[in-house]
Amino acid sequence: MGEEHLEAQAIVVGAGPAGLMAAHRLALEGLEVIVVERGQYAGAKNLSGLLYSTVLAQAIPDFSSKAPLERPVCKRGLGLLGPKDFSVLSFGSEKWTCPPHNHTWVVYRAQFDRWLASQVEEAGGTLLEGAVVEDLFYEQEGSFKKVAGVRIRGEEEAFRAPVVILAEGAVGLVSERARDSLGMRPGEKPQSYGLGIKEVWALAASTIEERFGLEPGCGAAMEWIGSPFKGLVGGGFLYTGKESLALGMIVKLESLVRAGLSPQDLMEGFKANPEVRRYLKGGELLEYGAHLIPEGGPQAMGQLCHNGLLIVGDAAGLVNASMYHEGSNLAMLSGRLAAEAVIQAHLLGDFSRKSLSLYERMLHESFLMEDLSRLKNIERAHLVFPRLMAELPSRFTGLLVDLFEQAQVPKKDIRKEAFRRAMDGMPKLRTLLDLWKMRRMMG
Amino acid sequence: MALEEKLYRVRYEVDPDHPHIRVKQELCSSCGRRVCTFICPAGVYVESPGDPGQIQVRHENCLECGTCRVACGCEGIIWDYPNGGMGVRYRFG
Repeated sequence: MGEEHLEAQAIVVGAGPAGLMAAHRLALEGLEVIVVERGQYAGAKNLSGLLYSTVLAQAIPDFSSKAPLERPVCKRGLGLLGPKDFSVLSFGSEKWTCPPHNHTWVVYRAQFDRWLASQVEEAGGTLLEGAVVEDLFYEQEGSFKKVAGVRIRGEEEAFRAPVVILAEGAVGLVSERARDSLGMRPGEKPQSYGLGIKEVWALAASTIEERFGLEPGCGAAMEWIGSPFKGLVGGGFLYTGKESLALGMIVKLESLVRAGLSPQDLMEGFKANPEVRRYLKGGELLEYGAHLIPEGGPQAMGQLCHNGLLIVGDAAGLVNASMYHEGSNLAMLSGRLAAEAVIQAHLLGDFSRKSLSLYERMLHESFLMEDLSRLKNIERAHLVFPRLMAELPSRFTGLLVDLFEQAQVPKKDIRKEAFRRAMDGMPKLRTLLDLWKMRRMMG
Repeated sequence: MALEEKLYRVRYEVDPDHPHIRVKQELCSSCGRRVCTFICPAGVYVESPGDPGQIQVRHENCLECGTCRVACGCEGIIWDYPNGGMGVRYRFG
């Protein structure tokens, strides 16, 4: 590397949506920014569900004609699964079939993130792929201690910059070390996680459109809760790609550990459900993957900036773990806001915590924190969900099936018997209370 | 579908000489629950066939999800990032 220090005006650690959006904004502003990614390419380690694109659309208005998007979601389904019965509420809108498609897309992140990285390069940013940031590089001590760059594995010299944006994702080793070394205030509660498992299945476009009842090019997103998840806090999803399906589940890790169940068995049980199985018929598995999702909400976030440092995206715990499961859009928002704070800091020549805390203030004023602050009760979900998740879906689908049973008895008796079976052994008050609590957890 | 069959569809850049996971065998040998052996989505942790007291780590199958770090109640797993460009390499993700 010679005598000269490697130096940039900002370093971003991690080329996911949060880091790339930050870098994109900084590069457009004319700042010298470098994104360090440990994967062979941006997105190599990433996995996701749907992409909500409201923040992306602001930064790159014509993204939908350039980005590798699979299908827009024109139809959604929320379903309940019993061991043998099912029920689905399917809904959509003519509006969703036209641009901007309600800003809801099925994407494959290994492809999407790579494209977003190319946009950063086009804007003038630099990408350093296949390099592991081992730790941050610090200067000074005590309350003046500040981040002044990063240490890359295998390099003796630190890579310097007056400000570093940590966008490492859910497994944030450098963020953890940084919080310790800088004595950053931890969250009121430790972070808690959802475990996401995903399988990508190849299937012909025409078969997908036929099976889901879709116009050519349109997509669907199905989500289920119920008996395959054995009363754990979690559910399954199925999204349509162009010529593939993304099938998976998200289960609260703590509840999985407590129950002593393996994600593999749970996933296979979900896939074996007759309502789910039929979508995959004739398909071929292309890829399998797993990823953690930080779901602790604002109480687990703690301090997100310090002298010369900002933490964004999953590394900051910015996920809306309600029924919307919004992560990458919030990541992009936090990346953009962090970039705004860095731009201000460069103008003022002040990279202190006080200066960079503009980021935290902007976060708190955004829709993101409004959404997240409503999730405070989600931590207690496991107290309510086992009953609701295990019992209600099967009872409700059972009730529907029983109500339409055909026999040579008066319909009045069939209805009476159906309700008797559905309510058998269910204390009414507790059920209503559970439903009310769950409503509050939806955010 | 067996887990092995699923892992077969995942692309990895294998780095056999630089395992990024180590376990503290002295803790594992006295660990009653062994959460890692059922919680890992890639089946990385198995009881050693020769010595059930030990945990064998198949680091080359790791999906780098981080589940084991969170789920091991004994802090018995030392998990680091694989070297640059190594490890799991999703094509879809």
